[in-house]
Amino acid sequence: MPPLSAPSRREALGLLSAGIASGLGACAKPSEELVPYVVQPELLLPGVPARYATALSLGGWARGVHAIAVDGRPIKIEGNPLHPASLGATDVFAEAAILDLYDPDRARTVTERVSGIASWDMVERALAAPLAQTRREKGKGFRLLTGHVTSPTLLRQIAALLQAMPEAIWHVHEPLDDAAALRGAELAFGRPLRPLPDPGRAEMILCVGADPLGPGPDQIRFGRAFIDRRRDPARFGRLYVAETALTQTGIKADARCALHPADAAGLLAALANALGAALPAPDLPPEAARFAAAAAADLRGAEGRALVLVGDALPPELHALGHWINGRLKAPVTYTAPLDLAGDRAPADLATLAADLDSGAVSCLAILGCNPVQTAPADLAFAERIGRAGFSVHAGLHGDETAGATHWHLPLAHALESWSDLRARDGTASLVQPLVRPLYGGRSDHEILSLLAGEPATAGYDLVRATWHDQGGGDFEGWWRKALHDGVIPDSAAKPVEPGAARLPSLPKPPDPGFAVELRADPCLYDGRYANNAWLQECPKPVSKQVWGNALAVSHAEAARRGLEAGDVVVLGLGGRQIEALVAVESGVADGAGALTLGYGRPRAGAIGNGIGADGYRLATVAAPRLLPGVSLDRTGRQGEVLRTQNYTQIEGETKKLFRQIVLADLPQAKPKGIGADRPTLLDPWTGDADGHAWAMVIDTQACIGCNACVVACQSENNVPIVGPEEIARGRMMHWLRVDLYDSGTPEAVNAGFQPVPCMHCEHAPCEPVCPVAASVHDGEGLNLQVYNRCVGTRFCEANCPYKVRRFNFFGYADGQPYATMGAESIKAQHNPNVTVRARGVMEKCTYCIQRIANERQASERDGRPMGAVATACQSACPTRAITFGDLAQPDDPIRALRQDPRHYALMEELNTRPRTTYLADLHAPNPDLGGRT
Amino acid sequence: MVQIFRPGADTVARVVLASIAAAPILSVGLAYAVWRSPYATQQEVTREQPVPFSHEHHVGGLGIDCRYCHTSVEQAAFPGIPPTETCMSCHSQIWTNAPMLAPVRTSLAEGRPLEWRKVHTLPHYVYFNHSVHVAKGVGCTTCHGEVQTMKLIRQVAPLTMGWCLDCHRDPAPNLRPREAVFDTNWTPPPDQKTIGAQLVKAYHIKSPERLSECSICHR
Repeated sequence: MPPLSAPSRREALGLLSAGIASGLGACAKPSEELVPYVVQPELLLPGVPARYATALSLGGWARGVHAIAVDGRPIKIEGNPLHPASLGATDVFAEAAILDLYDPDRARTVTERVSGIASWDMVERALAAPLAQTRREKGKGFRLLTGHVTSPTLLRQIAALLQAMPEAIWHVHEPLDDAAALRGAELAFGRPLRPLPDPGRAEMILCVGADPLGPGPDQIRFGRAFIDRRRDPARFGRLYVAETALTQTGIKADARCALHPADAAGLLAALANALGAALPAPDLPPEAARFAAAAAADLRGAEGRALVLVGDALPPELHALGHWINGRLKAPVTYTAPLDLAGDRAPADLATLAADLDSGAVSCLAILGCNPVQTAPADLAFAERIGRAGFSVHAGLHGDETAGATHWHLPLAHALESWSDLRARDGTASLVQPLVRPLYGGRSDHEILSLLAGEPATAGYDLVRATWHDQGGGDFEGWWRKALHDGVIPDSAAKPVEPGAARLPSLPKPPDPGFAVELRADPCLYDGRYANNAWLQECPKPVSKQVWGNALAVSHAEAARRGLEAGDVVVLGLGGRQIEALVAVESGVADGAGALTLGYGRPRAGAIGNGIGADGYRLATVAAPRLLPGVSLDRTGRQGEVLRTQNYTQIEGETKKLFRQIVLADLPQAKPKGIGADRPTLLDPWTGDADGHAWAMVIDTQACIGCNACVVACQSENNVPIVGPEEIARGRMMHWLRVDLYDSGTPEAVNAGFQPVPCMHCEHAPCEPVCPVAASVHDGEGLNLQVYNRCVGTRFCEANCPYKVRRFNFFGYADGQPYATMGAESIKAQHNPNVTVRARGVMEKCTYCIQRIANERQASERDGRPMGAVATACQSACPTRAITFGDLAQPDDPIRALRQDPRHYALMEELNTRPRTTYLADLHAPNPDLGGRT
Repeated sequence: MVQIFRPGADTVARVVLASIAAAPILSVGLAYAVWRSPYATQQEVTREQPVPFSHEHHVGGLGIDCRYCHTSVEQAAFPGIPPTETCMSCHSQIWTNAPMLAPVRTSLAEGRPLEWRKVHTLPHYVYFNHSVHVAKGVGCTTCHGEVQTMKLIRQVAPLTMGWCLDCHRDPAPNLRPREAVFDTNWTPPPDQKTIGAQLVKAYHIKSPERLSECSICHR
């Protein structure tokens, strides 16, 4: 390249005129094409969203959903009201599944380790010889490794495969499973049974290391039943939580104890002894002993309405003890026999497979839809062991860590691209139907298994139909259509089993009392499978509000003792293995323990998730997969940054004002607080609209479990872009709805709660008078509008907004300057066509889902009927129905009653903004014996 | 001493000063005129289409109803562009060998859609809904002009925001009885003023203030 020199006068003028000319040319309207169908499908209206019932899996368990497609393009996931694990709501993972579908980093082609890009034909040819050999030897040396499977079709296929090849073995590896609970039931009842607790009937609940309101396949069902019961003050009950570090369940607790994981056994033993067991008296710290005594008294007094839940990370013996206690308490738990068996064969575990790989007994290894190289306990050294298989093939959505260790990698079709079926936690089966053809030529796990079984290529559709062919009593087609339409298969729930009396187990010897680290499901990435999902990476974790990474949570006392500060990089060591992690100093963590979420530090997640955070799996062992005892912790002297979207501030008295908390006993005296409409004002009063609508929202902070489903639902519905970690570090974010965490307690005794904050749509909106171009204006239905085309980006409105809900496009986050791969063509297909994609330099904020209001208004105008109910995206996502949206102008709208609720209050009503979004106060029932909420 | 300025210099100076003041105003005016001109709004432009479909022949001559092809105009925001199948429902019987229709036959045979060039284009931040306008008595020809006379479809109205607002602020002159919405030969009756006002009431059309709010068309 020649050196740059200043242009001559002629050249400069030439460039100037060329610039003007090209600018003028750009003003012309672009030519657009209209492409109609050749044969238009019946009942399909162009541009009108269509809903399809299907199911998405989390750890193998189904959550029924409605996938919404516009012109054949899936754009949004909503809950399926008929499905028992969805109840019309979603969780973060279901909402974000739509972005996973369009992930440009998904595996696009069959690959072979040496020659690279290959084809399905080539893999079929390559597989033919080793598979024929194994079949001749009745499957000797053939191993199938899957994640947790509940799909009746897949189980049927596996059973058939094992029957055809009796020497073959099926292994299951699910990093966050309930294996300890199943083994606990085996200890207690003599057979593996799956407990399904009913928090709707249990008023006194004690969670020991359990986080049922946290991330997981049962979160929606549990959260809904728990909160629905608590809406009735007479059945409010009390929630006791003993845990290593603060979780969502811990924040909703009425009494909480930061418990070192080594003391969990002691706490349960103390409780069992209070119920008549004669276990050796445990040696508990005084606070835990007081907590145990208070909990035992409450639980004992509520026989038939009391429940104990033991965390999945705790050993089986403690689960068995939990079953025994629940039996004594006559707890509302139903037990079901496991449905996840192939015929009568239960799967073997990963450690067995590792041992067999070592002994050279494995000639052909097929890994279907799981990622053991990343998620297996580190002492299995699975990446090296896979190499000892004669022939290995991996099928997955991404070319992940396991794909890098096997001979072949096959692209798997996404759940929205394939036919399948799944079961929910209660056994209810659902059909999974595709909305689009596989974007990248992937095949479903059913089709790949049929390939492995050496059967002629069969479409997933036929395989799934074959599973259910005897249903419907002669009218299979009618049955099939109804099952597809409803998204649930009637009467498919598991029959409850009478477990019999539980045996009292002998307790294990207490683990190493040194520094313990609890590895947890990440509230955003779960076990790491969603690491390449930018929405989830940028979704603030419910408790720490951290984004784009994880950190080791330690208590203030522990940090002081070790001379640690937030942001320090430490080395965690266990059994000769080491990882580096950031330190986060947090309230409510037990001394002598820390908590780290799983799913980070992945080397081959994709452009979004590579190398972010610390990988907890590298410390896990087969003996201690989730609770690591005796971890060494050394400072490196380096500093990093824990990126948070809500920083820790403490202003005397502010928390009590901004986040109203009421003790249950004081509820009868509570009075509703208005929006400050009685205050004097210089502005004209808001007169309302001649057409008679006044939209408003009430958010019940008591019901909010901080799960973030609303945040991601809003992002999905409203084309909210990702800004990336660098921008977050500058204090910028784009979420239209955030969930704030308030804590009026102390680091040792938290008194916290969640508060979702969308735009308040103030009747006297401070953002409006300061806008020089009238881009922030009110409409006749009370919506505070942001007119993007008028906005010139002064940001005066943002400065004047007391609620800080306005978001500015400092860059073209959605349009022209996207983060990493977020600008890929495939990602654009996710955009909701009914919402403008905002450009650089424009302010934006929550619109109360104006597109949904407009759709309903236009539909009612067209049909000549009154307007029906409108549900915002956040409202329809909420598992606990904490968000109510409605029309204040309709006399019978439930929102009017909520505004008269004794717990009602408005945020900063003293500013005379008269917000349309208001709140119901948080409610708690602390145990007086423990001296307030602990 | 020789005079530097000639007698006319004063006038020249005055003209120059005046034009310095006038130029910005004139250029803004010119830009505005160009902006609103049919050239910029691309009115009266006929575009080359894969098949020279004539609304004059099909609507004006044969009298086919708008909804025969634009099927979703009463139900959805988008009126619908006919699938190839719709064309072939007649053209499998008549003009079966017309060379002009070869692309249509190829489309059906190969399952490859026809690609029409869009004539009426609104910016992407405008959310126009055909079904509501039709339900409220706004006729097709009110915005699309006399399509029954067009050999190739072209845009007649400017489709600018000002033009939209003209009607949103005073819809009465453009309202028809429902049965006349798809009548391409409809002309306003002499008493349109009173009829229009009655229709505004009958259709429960919102107030001009409400109809000219940003959120009616933008999201």
